[in-house]
Amino acid sequence: MNDRNQIILVIEDSPDDVFFLRHALKKAGNSGAVHVVTDGQQALDYLRGIGNYSDRMAFPFPTVVFLDLKLPLVSGFDVLAWIRAQPALNLLPVFILTGSAEERDRAKVRELGAKDYFVKPPQRAMVLQVMETLSRNQPSREKPH
Amino acid sequence: MKALSEQQFTKPIARSHNKSVELDGHRVPYFEGDPGEQMPAFILSQRLAAIVESSDDAIISKDLNGIIATWNRGAERIFGYTAEEVIGESITLLLPPERYNEEPEILHRIRNGQQIDHYETVRRRKDGTLVDISLTVSPVKDADGRVIGASKIARDITARKRAEAELRSAKDEFARLNEDLESRVRARTASLTEAISHLEEFSYTVSHDLRAPTRSMKCYAQIVLEDFGAKLDPEVKDYLERIRRGAERMDRLIQDVLTYSRLSRSDVAAHPVSLDSLVADIIQQYPEMQAPRAAITVRHPLLNVFAHEPSLVQAVSNLLINAVKFMPAGRVPEITVRSELHGPNIRLWIEDNGIGIKPEHQDRLFRIFERLSTNGHYEGTGIGLAIVRKAAEKMGGAAGVESDGLTGSRFWIELPAASN
Repeated sequence: MNDRNQIILVIEDSPDDVFFLRHALKKAGNSGAVHVVTDGQQALDYLRGIGNYSDRMAFPFPTVVFLDLKLPLVSGFDVLAWIRAQPALNLLPVFILTGSAEERDRAKVRELGAKDYFVKPPQRAMVLQVMETLSRNQPSREKPH
Repeated sequence: MKALSEQQFTKPIARSHNKSVELDGHRVPYFEGDPGEQMPAFILSQRLAAIVESSDDAIISKDLNGIIATWNRGAERIFGYTAEEVIGESITLLLPPERYNEEPEILHRIRNGQQIDHYETVRRRKDGTLVDISLTVSPVKDADGRVIGASKIARDITARKRAEAELRSAKDEFARLNEDLESRVRARTASLTEAISHLEEFSYTVSHDLRAPTRSMKCYAQIVLEDFGAKLDPEVKDYLERIRRGAERMDRLIQDVLTYSRLSRSDVAAHPVSLDSLVADIIQQYPEMQAPRAAITVRHPLLNVFAHEPSLVQAVSNLLINAVKFMPAGRVPEITVRSELHGPNIRLWIEDNGIGIKPEHQDRLFRIFERLSTNGHYEGTGIGLAIVRKAAEKMGGAAGVESDGLTGSRFWIELPAASN
């Protein structure tokens, strides 16, 4: 997949962690468009395209999601569960980016259907791994050059 | 009745097995004195009467209609009626109203020649109070073997009944107190468990939230060093490096607290674990455990243990990291890893040639935040060994150390044996 076509939704309440993710994306050479929401409710509104996010031109539907687990209002687990319950969002890859290295959290998101699980801080290597996963899993979407 | 003389009462008599005499219309065994000497019937009768009279038990006879015929002093004492008052009266005089139905049943059985043995019941005294008695009723037969009446022996068992009731009530009270105690223990345990769980959740959240700003400090310092390092004055770079190291140390400390708190919180499900491959994997992961930086000798085969693998990896890693870390400057770590049977357990030994720990300090070593090294040569959070011990204990084992403080340390972790 061409990075420039990527629309990255970052669901993260810490501005520092958003900064580190942007920095890691840049270091990895990823130039996708980054959209940030800072709590779980905003995430649901964004994905549904309602409220402040009803303009799909300004807030396009993401091709990939980075999701923190500890979020205000609606937790990352609940956001993930909601996404996986929507048949229309079946193909939307969700990567967990959390401060928690707890096995119980890993197990829970595995069960809920996250693509992968990363512990903060986000690094260049992590972004490269994500890009590799995306290109491996969605070859049919890519037009042959 | 004329009283007997002492001699008449105490003169030995032998019982004859084949003789009987008619006595007051009843046939009773005949007793003999010296061989050939016959005991006069009236003396015999008087002797029997004296025995009956002086008995502590109530001895009463009645006819088949329940009319009282004889009444001894024991009966007088127990029931409060004199013989004159009750002879000729119905035995039902003694029955509390709720037990009236007992008498026809007793008379019915007596008429059939049956005996009633030690029947525990209640009778009413003259003053209306009730008395617990044990009753034995036997049919009295005439010379032809016909049942003509009944003899009743009633023993006052009030004292025994009271003792039994007191015992029962003491038992009930004991059971109540015991239940009370158990419910208090349950309540305390529940509130303690809740407090511990709140505390652990608190410590987890605090540790977790503390990591975020620490991580930020480390990352910003790292980014500045990586992205602008070339343009920076060496002194600035040094300061940034110090910030990064400080944040890193803080992060490690928090991670160790998290690990410790996680170990305390979670249940560890145990499975058979091969120590051989577990130890090999750990050594593989740490360059400082490999040649030429260290010489680790594993005495194969290490015996299999029953453990929670992630906890055991954590514990054995910590022991091996310590083993290669606490070395005098310039010495190459020489570590021996071996296992042995220790009762029902396997003891894994990790023996080093490091600085050792004096026996007087060994107790403190496994406590959280205890560090014995004060000279700053050895980095550590003071949680590593607390994690080892906590992990071992959670898995039903133990951990410890032997050292003279001069010739290295021999740390051990002991776990239940798996089939080997």
